[in-house]
Amino acid sequence: MIHLPKHETKLMVAVHGWSGILLGLLLYAVVTTGMAAVFAEEIGTWSAGHVSYQSAFERPFADDLRRLSAQTPAKYHEGADLFEMGDHDMGVFFHRHETEPDGELVSRGVYYQLGKDGQVTDRQFGTGEEIFGPRNDTALSSFLVDTHVRLHVPNPWGLLLTGILGLSMLVAAISGLLIHRHLFKDVFTLRRKANPVLFNRDRHSVAGTWSLPFAFILAFTGSFFSFFGTIGVPIVAMAAFGGDVQALNEAVFGTPGKPDPRPVAIGNLDRVATDSIRRAGDVPTFMTIENFGRADAKVTTFHAPTNGGLAPVSLLYDGAKASFIATKPLIGPKPSAGGTLAAIMSPLHFGNFAGLLSKAVWFGLGFAMCYVTFTGLKLWLVRRAAQARSLDWLDRTVTIVGLGLPFALVVCAAAFLIALPLGSTVYWTPTAFLIASTTVIAGGFLWPTSAGFSRLLQLATAGLMIALPPLRLLTGGPGWATALAAGQPIIPALDVAFLLAGGWMIWRVRDSRPHRDSDTLPSLQAAE
Amino acid sequence: MTILLMLAAIAFSTALLVLLCRGDPKRRRTLRQSGKGHGPALRRLLVALSLLPGVGYAVAGDAAAVLIWFGGYAVVGWFVTLSAAQWQDG
Repeated sequence: MIHLPKHETKLMVAVHGWSGILLGLLLYAVVTTGMAAVFAEEIGTWSAGHVSYQSAFERPFADDLRRLSAQTPAKYHEGADLFEMGDHDMGVFFHRHETEPDGELVSRGVYYQLGKDGQVTDRQFGTGEEIFGPRNDTALSSFLVDTHVRLHVPNPWGLLLTGILGLSMLVAAISGLLIHRHLFKDVFTLRRKANPVLFNRDRHSVAGTWSLPFAFILAFTGSFFSFFGTIGVPIVAMAAFGGDVQALNEAVFGTPGKPDPRPVAIGNLDRVATDSIRRAGDVPTFMTIENFGRADAKVTTFHAPTNGGLAPVSLLYDGAKASFIATKPLIGPKPSAGGTLAAIMSPLHFGNFAGLLSKAVWFGLGFAMCYVTFTGLKLWLVRRAAQARSLDWLDRTVTIVGLGLPFALVVCAAAFLIALPLGSTVYWTPTAFLIASTTVIAGGFLWPTSAGFSRLLQLATAGLMIALPPLRLLTGGPGWATALAAGQPIIPALDVAFLLAGGWMIWRVRDSRPHRDSDTLPSLQAAE
Repeated sequence: MTILLMLAAIAFSTALLVLLCRGDPKRRRTLRQSGKGHGPALRRLLVALSLLPGVGYAVAGDAAAVLIWFGGYAVVGWFVTLSAAQWQDG
């Protein structure tokens, strides 16, 4: 592999270790929630007991939309976004773009949610951020996604923080590649009975080596998403559009054409939806209408990648005539390498380009990243076990975060299930996380040994995982027969996954031997 | 890309990864197992064979399948190593 001079290798080891130990715990939180967030949509369906399978775009909605547009002030006809909400209900957001006094660009308007019978079940006025917060049926999946995206730190700081964490993961991956002298020779070497340093080193390097290409991909795409809106867009807007972000958005993502503000009724959107499904082979994930009710109205439908492709598909329609115009690149009016690269960032990061199979693989890769981060922190600690007393607090912190975070997330899920019928999940999901976290932190520092607390946490997490499926049923969730009959196999599948994961964790804890723990074996040898 | 074909492709690579793991000379040496394990030529052949499904998907121009197969290859390779370590300890 790559052979660096000795002093450079030492420098790289220091960079690798210190970047990991300084940001590793936060990175672990982002990676763990990211792993779970791969299945955010499925977790949303499972937790809320959604059993509808027909997309809102497969039902007629054009007449309802015309009716809603007549009820909405014309100033909010600048744009209309259509998407699925809740249990395949239709969400419609009529809005216009406004710049807040602090310079922030927002979408403000009226949001409607339509039930399956076309009746309005919810109506709200506000900005996109205000309207699209967590709801009673999405609080759990929203919590997971929010933790992953910005660690619940307000924007833009949360995004900047997770962007920096992504970069630190990139640094760790590159430095790890450079310092590992026998990358391929050691790929199957895992000495479980070796001393703690070798044991942890093998665990860390084996998982790191196998998942290395994807560590680059996930870290890079994650940083891209974090920095895109917080740094990239403002800089480009400043350099090329005099700071006008809206002008940049229109130039880069909008549809070019001569403005024609003549009032013309919107065309038959049911026909647009049907045609887009035929062309893309799948229902739209999103539909947006520019200049609703004008002669120059344009409709864009967004779809998952076609079979074998990675880039999502966007189709452009003439809004007034409801006729197909062209397949639209993500960026600019014509296909380009940059546009394709930008388009594949999302599927590469979320693994959502080929349904459940690609998501399952991305979940496995996310698990490997969690494992690499956690064992890296453990390795750093056991290498310094001679200073065991002074680093005891860090050892306990690693246990608290490493095993306490999964525990708190499972507590969150249990709290969500209990609060769902009461309509208070938005409050109880994060509150349960905070209560569980506080308990774990207090327990972690008060428990006599870190190893004992680690076993307790794993057993508690496992027990809760096994309890989730019955809890879901007890709180009114659909049974397996109902879910399968309704075409929602994901509900029993996740139940089984929780039962298996809980059982596997109990088996692991019972199988683990105390002599492997760093607490019980302080005498170390060199790792290299 | 069909799911069954993809699962078959990953299973094919898994079988070869298990063979590679069992005959890995470094692993056998560290575990003090008898025999030297596979020679370099056999290892290269097994590695090339294990990569065949990915190459096939790449030649067919199926980018999504290449990524899924490669991701699956990475996860399975890691699990094979973990399982071998677990199994060798009894």
